[in-house]
Amino acid sequence: MMDVKRIISKIEKSYIISNLRKGERIDGRDIWDHREFNIKSDIISSAEGSADVSLGDTRIITGLKYEVGEPFPDLPNEGVCTIMAELLPVASPLFERGPPDEQSIELARVVDRGIRHADCVQTKKLCIKENEAVYILFVDMYVINYDGNLIDAGSVSALTTLISAHIPEGKIGEDGLEWTGNYLTGETIVNELPLVLTYGKIDDIIFLDPNLAEELVCDGKISISATENKITSIQKSGAATFSIEEIKMLCKKSIDIGKKLRNELNLLQYKTEYK
Amino acid sequence: MPLIIKDEYPEKLFREDGKRLDGRDIDELRPIKMEVGVIKNADGSAYLEWGNNKIFAAVYGPREVHPHHLAKPDRGVLRVFYRMATYSVFDRKRPAPGRREKEISMIVSDCLEPVLFLELYPGTSFEVFIEVLDADGGTRCASTTVAALALADAGVPMKSLVSAIAVGKIDGEIVVDLSGVEDKAGEADLPCAITWYNEEISLLQFDGDMDIEELSEFMELAIESLKKIYQIQMNALKSKYITLKEEETKEIEEGDK
Repeated sequence: MMDVKRIISKIEKSYIISNLRKGERIDGRDIWDHREFNIKSDIISSAEGSADVSLGDTRIITGLKYEVGEPFPDLPNEGVCTIMAELLPVASPLFERGPPDEQSIELARVVDRGIRHADCVQTKKLCIKENEAVYILFVDMYVINYDGNLIDAGSVSALTTLISAHIPEGKIGEDGLEWTGNYLTGETIVNELPLVLTYGKIDDIIFLDPNLAEELVCDGKISISATENKITSIQKSGAATFSIEEIKMLCKKSIDIGKKLRNELNLLQYKTEYK
Repeated sequence: MPLIIKDEYPEKLFREDGKRLDGRDIDELRPIKMEVGVIKNADGSAYLEWGNNKIFAAVYGPREVHPHHLAKPDRGVLRVFYRMATYSVFDRKRPAPGRREKEISMIVSDCLEPVLFLELYPGTSFEVFIEVLDADGGTRCASTTVAALALADAGVPMKSLVSAIAVGKIDGEIVVDLSGVEDKAGEADLPCAITWYNEEISLLQFDGDMDIEELSEFMELAIESLKKIYQIQMNALKSKYITLKEEETKEIEEGDK
């Protein structure tokens, strides 16, 4: 069992901070290093797409389900993609049972906004018949172990799940909804690959991918989602304040580090071949 | 809301060659894989793959009881929470826990309680969280099995392990370990669990129809399979310590250099 506490002792806090001042991390990383990602895709046989993503010891298993429903009246030819997150009580003594709390809603919302505003999910491809039938996708994230920075792990998990998708392709025939025999795969559904990077801030020190201890002692965090060359969403959380210069610097870093990470992860390799 | 592919069951549950649809004999289990210590934050944890079932169990405790009025002054309380992921079944499950999940939580808790020495832990609680991420029939038995393993991994004093299995009747034949399709399209389903310290039945449910002779056949078949499952549980527990031992030896060897 790891030592998980709601409160970090003063001596541990000052140890973390004095390390950061020297440009070092308690787990040996550099200020701008993230922990290693470990990805497995299409592991859930009941789901139409799934991913098991670990970021260090933080682990999230995400699955995709679909329904066919009516489109929103103002978007008659576009499907819908919703994202939900649950912080399971198995994952940490800090998590409790019950309806979603602020932290799980923030996780789902930030991951959702990163994807929604990035031309990632091709909602027009999720239309079966205009005004009548569209796909409603449910991307549900379940946190299995919590060791800080759920947002970055969640965003990769959600993306990999969408890429691994294999949704039965429908058409409206004479007897209503029919299966064409084909599948819609991640290749059709996903276009841009936005990645979220989260930075913690303690005093005036900023660092990438806070682990649990760093997350508990930091004043606040900022999560920046970026595609190849554009920022698509930002979320500042916690009681830290950021200067405009810092925000500019972090946005630039997000694009640069994101580019490298995107190449490293090569998420498109997780698409499933379905005839 | 309609789905594009319908969840339909085949008319026959046996193939031409007499095997079941997934190629098993009537007394054959699906492939089972168990591992302990998979969730680092938990006091004890276990992961189970049983056919297509994928289940995590984590134990937290002994710890403070929350809400406080559930605490008992003379003994600890065991609380089990069985949950299914929305994507674990054919039709997306609603995220909030339903009646079925609450019932299974209760029967698994009642099944495990006899093996624990709760009287040693007054005023505290053991919480067992079971998360079914992929479901394909027999999840209550699989959950009981993996929960017992997680308790053992947590080092909670136990009289023995608990193993569980479902036996049932499909197309008139008595079979062991029903898959999802066999469970839904079959005629009878009897999940049961055994507490090994006294070799008695600690979980028992039945749906379908049977006569008294069939009941004996059911139980005989169940006991045979339960022995196999017990072996897999023991191996999973031991292998954690074998791995630890290997790591330790390696460290010592490296230290010598």
